[in-house]
Amino acid sequence: MIPVFLWLLATIDSAFIGYREAAGRNALIDKRAYYRHALIRGALVGQVAVLIVGVITAIVLVNSDDAGALFSKLEAVGARMLTVYVPYAVILLITFLIRAVPSVDIRSITSTVIFGPFTLIRPVVVLAGAVWGVVAAPSAITIALTVLIVCLMLGLGGALSWLRSRGLIS
Amino acid sequence: MSLSTITRHGPEISDAIVSFDPITLQRKPVKKADVLVQFKELRNHEAVRIVEQMPEQDGVLDPAAVDKILITSHCEMQRMSEEFQHGKRVAELLKPILNALRDGGVKNPIRIVDIGCGTGFVIRWLAASGSLGDDVKLMGVDFNVALLNEAQRLATIENLRCKFEVANAFRLDEPATVFISTGILHHFRDEDLSYLLQQHCRAETCAFVHFDFHSSPMAPLGSWLFHAVRMREPLAKHDGVLSAVRAHKSRYLLDVTRRAAPEFVSAIYGTRLWRMPIPRVFHSLVGIRPKYHEAFLRNMGTRIASLGKIE
Repeated sequence: MIPVFLWLLATIDSAFIGYREAAGRNALIDKRAYYRHALIRGALVGQVAVLIVGVITAIVLVNSDDAGALFSKLEAVGARMLTVYVPYAVILLITFLIRAVPSVDIRSITSTVIFGPFTLIRPVVVLAGAVWGVVAAPSAITIALTVLIVCLMLGLGGALSWLRSRGLIS
Repeated sequence: MSLSTITRHGPEISDAIVSFDPITLQRKPVKKADVLVQFKELRNHEAVRIVEQMPEQDGVLDPAAVDKILITSHCEMQRMSEEFQHGKRVAELLKPILNALRDGGVKNPIRIVDIGCGTGFVIRWLAASGSLGDDVKLMGVDFNVALLNEAQRLATIENLRCKFEVANAFRLDEPATVFISTGILHHFRDEDLSYLLQQHCRAETCAFVHFDFHSSPMAPLGSWLFHAVRMREPLAKHDGVLSAVRAHKSRYLLDVTRRAAPEFVSAIYGTRLWRMPIPRVFHSLVGIRPKYHEAFLRNMGTRIASLGKIE
């Protein structure tokens, strides 16, 4: 279940990366379709990142002397990562529920108190989860895979912007 | 953008890189060196770096490049306005005013003019929401042709019933019934602020609602945080933070307004949140002719206590 939870969080996170990357670039009033596309695009690009991690992990496992032990180590790292990422995600999801209340004041305060500060600390949370996770089973392989995951999590927005600058997305 | 932006003073970059003749509204060339000297004297090295990157032609800032930066910045500012529900906030304050004017027998149509509307987010939002009624005409005015062309382009795409005009808001052929603005007041200091407010005193004008950053000890830091995470354009980041730093204090704004526009009953709304001493992102300066004041208060109901009011 741990890989499934990590995949789910990665998909949600990358969808919102897609949203943030698209935000502030379209000045129309009705942007529902625009943001829907941005969310889907982010989630799909996130699947590429997941695929990269998955393929590399599979190669490492296949070439390992003790695939079972290595898988357990990776699961231990993933489980510890979740203890950091799940609370962060849950707070955000609850805030989205609160934001559904059609009040200017309530919606504004969700931004000032949660969405803004949480966007600012996201890189710190990503790093904290990675460090906390890798401490559970430190080895060259777990560290290398964790570094790869962190780079992908923090680099996805930049990758989308790069695609935009090349005219590949709009 | 460094955190030190919150300690800056002086003009915003967007004030310094464009200039218009107040009579003819023609754009005047701006020498890049003059802008750089201005910010160097203020020791605003961040602004110097940003202006240095701007293209020039024969020492004059390239108007097309400047306009492109301004349009991008306005687009990013709109994102922030949307996040903070600004369109709805404006509508919630305008509706009780408009109903008071209707009850008081104001002639149709009611003309709402957004001063310094930029790319016209508020006017376009109000037009798209259709929440103010069919007897309302929405218009945005600004001195910058490029921003207004962009506003008109966006309004046309979405088939919105509003118009935009390069004009002095106080010299329109069809005068405003209600003036509105967002983030404009802090650009005007001392006598200029007073003069701006004096110009509201004309027979056809029944009310005004001016939104600006709510000055509070937390505002510069909060503004820095949001501009750091939400903006990309360096000018937008710099000016956004400086706007919060330069925002007028509520009491000062009210005192100036009462002296400059004594024909209106003025008050500041949006000074606290839910009756608690928590500052808001925006406060609003509301002025209304005495004839409509009671009806306006009645229409506002309990919302006044929730918004907080200085009078």
